[in-house]
Amino acid sequence: MHHLVVERWSRGESALHARDARVKILLTLAFLIALTTTPRISIAPVLGYGLLLLAAVLAGRLPAGAVLLRAGVVLPFSATFAAISILAGDSERAVALLVKSYLSALAVLVLAGVTPLPRLLRGLESLGAPRFLILVVQFLYRYLFVISEQAQHMRLAALCRGRFHFQAAGGAVAVLFARSYRRAQGIHHAMLARGFEGRTELLTSARAGVADVLALLSGMLVIVGLRFALGGFR
Amino acid sequence: MHIPDGFLSTPVWLSLDAVGVPAIGYLARRAQRELEESRVPLLGVMGAFVFAAQMINFPVGVGTSGHLVGAALLAIALGPAAASIVMTAILAIQALVFQDGGVLALGANVLNMAVAGVLAGYLPYRLWGAGRFRKAAIFLGGACSVLAGALLAILELLLSGVGMPASIVWVSLGLFTVTGALEGAITLVVVEGVEALNPGFVQRPSGTGWASLGMLGLGAVLLAAVGILLASGYPDGLEKLTQKLGIETKAWNLFSTPLADYSFRQLGSSWFSKASAGLVGLGLIYVLCLLVGRMISRRRSA
Repeated sequence: MHHLVVERWSRGESALHARDARVKILLTLAFLIALTTTPRISIAPVLGYGLLLLAAVLAGRLPAGAVLLRAGVVLPFSATFAAISILAGDSERAVALLVKSYLSALAVLVLAGVTPLPRLLRGLESLGAPRFLILVVQFLYRYLFVISEQAQHMRLAALCRGRFHFQAAGGAVAVLFARSYRRAQGIHHAMLARGFEGRTELLTSARAGVADVLALLSGMLVIVGLRFALGGFR
Repeated sequence: MHIPDGFLSTPVWLSLDAVGVPAIGYLARRAQRELEESRVPLLGVMGAFVFAAQMINFPVGVGTSGHLVGAALLAIALGPAAASIVMTAILAIQALVFQDGGVLALGANVLNMAVAGVLAGYLPYRLWGAGRFRKAAIFLGGACSVLAGALLAILELLLSGVGMPASIVWVSLGLFTVTGALEGAITLVVVEGVEALNPGFVQRPSGTGWASLGMLGLGAVLLAAVGILLASGYPDGLEKLTQKLGIETKAWNLFSTPLADYSFRQLGSSWFSKASAGLVGLGLIYVLCLLVGRMISRRRSA
């Protein structure tokens, strides 16, 4: 499955991988805010923000081609609205929609590509996200592949039996629901047996060091500097 | 319909984040209080289930098929607060791992689908789920959850000034109505299937908290109505509307706060002041959320 690629990237080693997750989250947010508040999308902002992201891709030793391609998943949606904007006679907005949504997706992809999800979620938690929600997200991600595979098997089995009609599909989803429900009960018992106390633990503790603070400051400086150099707000 | 980053104008995403973040904080606490501890893995696994169930196609005639969206099903099976948290978790994973929906736009997407969608999906079930019209209520819930989310998304895009000709708005509304009807049918079939396997999987609608629920429902209906009005009458967004009526100047005179129009009056040049006002606003929202969260948790532990 294609999202496993992101997970493999996130387990690599580089200067960006080594930084504290909170630093990377804050820098990504700053980048997204700078990008979205840029009023006119011309050559200068595209180059400025694009090169900044490209530098991050290279610093994170991510495969540039694959990353650039994968961020394109937003383009069908954006292209639809760009076409609508052109129909409405607003071609400047059409370009802005395409550029901003693509670069934003690329920025988040770089964040996910240099930060393993458990660390990313822990970073979000220590920045104030509700722990209960973070726990649910962790479980969701952990069992996403297990249950997706089960769904694939059921789909294949149904296709082998012949025509798949509406009622049968409903039955398949209901069975998947029941299996997921029972699996969750089993998971809970297993967790209790292993001493779960309402929190998943990382094997290594995350503490922001001098390098992290420096990275945060210099990154903010670059992003804010770039944003102000481009001028204008809307 | 997940809104990516770069689509919403700054006032729109900022205010939706400002509403959505505390709302999710509140719902997380509520879900935690309502559920036994054993339900924590259940919520996560149910999120994974919704993801996986979307792979199963429901054929609807000539070569086309639809799939489950899931907000109404989750609301009926788990209760509204837990369903909102599961939907939020799904949206978070989609934004972070799949680049489906933006990060700054997460507040908007959460409000559209995890809050309004779940609420619209649950309300008919809560009102009529126990009686004769149970099937109709489940169908209506599925349909309303999709429609409410889509209407809000269109409204937010229009407010952001994404120009959509009225004809396109009407065509997409028609498409969403069809999608909604399909979601209603799927939800009904799945709920009946699940109940046949084990009636304990589905929560019975209970009669407490009527007043607040009614208020929330009224709010959702009002929002939907405003959305339809705006979509049909003012396809070029609220900007035209405010210009026509001169609301803008009056409103800013009414609310002459330091952050009005996202600019400090004291500071001179406009882009710098707008930037700093935006950042200060964001910081204030963050601090406010933290404080409210702390207060609620302190009161609960006291």
